Amino acid sequence: MTSERTLSRLSRILALIPYVLSNEGASVAEVLDRFGYNETELARDLDTVFVCGLPGYGPGDLMEAFIDEDEVVIDAADYFARAPRLTSTEAISLLAGGMAIVASGQASRELESAVEKLSKAVVPDADMALSVDVSGESQMLGQLRTAATEKKVVTITYRSLGREIETTRQVEPWTVFTTLGNWYLQGYCRLVEGERNFRVDRIRKLQVTQQSFERPTDLPEPGVGYTPSEEDIVCDISLGPGAQWVPDYYPVEILRVTKNRTQVRFYSVDAEIPARLLLRLGAAARLLKGDEVAERVAEIGGSLLDKYR
Amino acid sequence: MQSVVERVINLLIYLLESPHPVTADQVRQTVPGYDQSSDDAFQRMFERDKNVLRRLGVPLEMKALDAWEVDHGYTVDPEKYAIPDPGLTQPEKVALSLAARMVRLGEGSAGLQGLLKLGGVERAMGLEPIGADLGAEAEVLGDLFRAVTERRRIRFDYRGHQRGLDPYGLAHRRGHWYLAGETSGDQRVFRVDRMEDLEIEEQSGSFTRPPGFKVRDMMKSQPWETGQDAAVTARVRFDSQVGWWAARTLGVPAAVDESLEAEIPVANRDAFVGWILSFGDSAEVLGPDDLRAEILERVESAMASLP
Repeated sequence: MTSERTLSRLSRILALIPYVLSNEGASVAEVLDRFGYNETELARDLDTVFVCGLPGYGPGDLMEAFIDEDEVVIDAADYFARAPRLTSTEAISLLAGGMAIVASGQASRELESAVEKLSKAVVPDADMALSVDVSGESQMLGQLRTAATEKKVVTITYRSLGREIETTRQVEPWTVFTTLGNWYLQGYCRLVEGERNFRVDRIRKLQVTQQSFERPTDLPEPGVGYTPSEEDIVCDISLGPGAQWVPDYYPVEILRVTKNRTQVRFYSVDAEIPARLLLRLGAAARLLKGDEVAERVAEIGGSLLDKYR
Repeated sequence: MQSVVERVINLLIYLLESPHPVTADQVRQTVPGYDQSSDDAFQRMFERDKNVLRRLGVPLEMKALDAWEVDHGYTVDPEKYAIPDPGLTQPEKVALSLAARMVRLGEGSAGLQGLLKLGGVERAMGLEPIGADLGAEAEVLGDLFRAVTERRRIRFDYRGHQRGLDPYGLAHRRGHWYLAGETSGDQRVFRVDRMEDLEIEEQSGSFTRPPGFKVRDMMKSQPWETGQDAAVTARVRFDSQVGWWAARTLGVPAAVDESLEAEIPVANRDAFVGWILSFGDSAEVLGPDDLRAEILERVESAMASLP
């Protein structure tokens, strides 16, 4: 196997040569910045280019590549006047990335036109063959993003999932991100004095204050992992064939996997969330352990039976 | 000792510049780095280097050298090699690079690497406080995207069934990637992360997408709108606890007291019943009756599954 490092080194060289050829007099500083090189790496790659060329491999056959004062010089490399095509992985990464930001309603005009031009060049019918939607409430996303950029504290009225408890909190917004179909606000919550993620669709009211805050320099990677705490409600559920999607969406610990069933341990702050999940799963899941959850299923279920019978 | 990087660059130049396809033997005799190895070692090295070229995006072709197709040679067409110029302005490249940094697709940074081929961008800019994780491994998506754009048939296992598919398009919705296409006469959508043992045929151009096909038309915005069930319209009442939120999800206004009564088109009853029950007893389906019966049945079986 050829290492990823060799591949990305080759890919960078094949991109560097056409750039320098068509931008005569490109400065070392510019090339370093543009291609993410440090000086040693650039010197090493130019040395490599310098010993490659046409069969014969005599002085007149090799490419020229060196640093002259503060300019990068490459010559006699006409066959590399253009970079190689994007691989399909590079193409979909660039296109899907651009399309995701466009779909969030947060794209600049430049990004919109860039995605359009790139689609046309890469796949003439990209419009038909690729579609990325991460839509959220673009107005609120926009406000949160601006608040995060300008480092302004926001006041949110937040409804927790499940029991519908409403709280008003001051949050220092670090970033907004989307994963698994939902948008989250990640930041420091002054109410609980700690880092929290809030689902943007559960923010009922949002107000941007004039108060500034300092953002930590080392932001934790955004993610929606759930850290169980000692006060959590715990229950064990056996998931049948129709409920195999559950571990993708809920923070569960997988206890055992057999051919048709998965046994999971479910942690949550109250019994409401697992109870509602069990109701929607019907016969596709079985509660194995968890008295409080069983009680809550019976309660909600009883009230539903009254409505539907 | 010739480095891999040197050898591959020299090989690529040779293939780009030769007027005719060249045989493996010619490569061995011409390009430095192959000469001193044994037959076996050469074969392995050459295979690896061809694979490197393909992974770089180089369209390496194998062509018959005679009418009987006994001998084969390799060639790279300079026209197919060169990246088409999309004509991006500097600000457009900066915007793309920002987007590539904001959006995560698998582990690697293929987007940023691709951007270098387009001339790179001057960096020196802060990160935007917005991000998206599109999940999935970029490699698998890349392979599927290639199958879509080059119109190659694929085969895979899906929930225990072997499927053959003409892949028409890829879509990302609600945190997952989907592949749409035609399988045994039906247009269907499959979740990419549930596809197993994927095989992509060598042959390209095996099918044509129906005129006017758009992958986004196959992806409905709500899960209960996508399905094969006979379409019905459900009438639902959400109480004031959850009405505001259901209204947001459905994109309709809630009543003054924040409750909501809505008519909702349903084509996937199972997904719909699940969604309604995720509101606990805060939502009630008012009609049609058979949908109410289905909810009742689901609740009864959930209660019967309690220990």
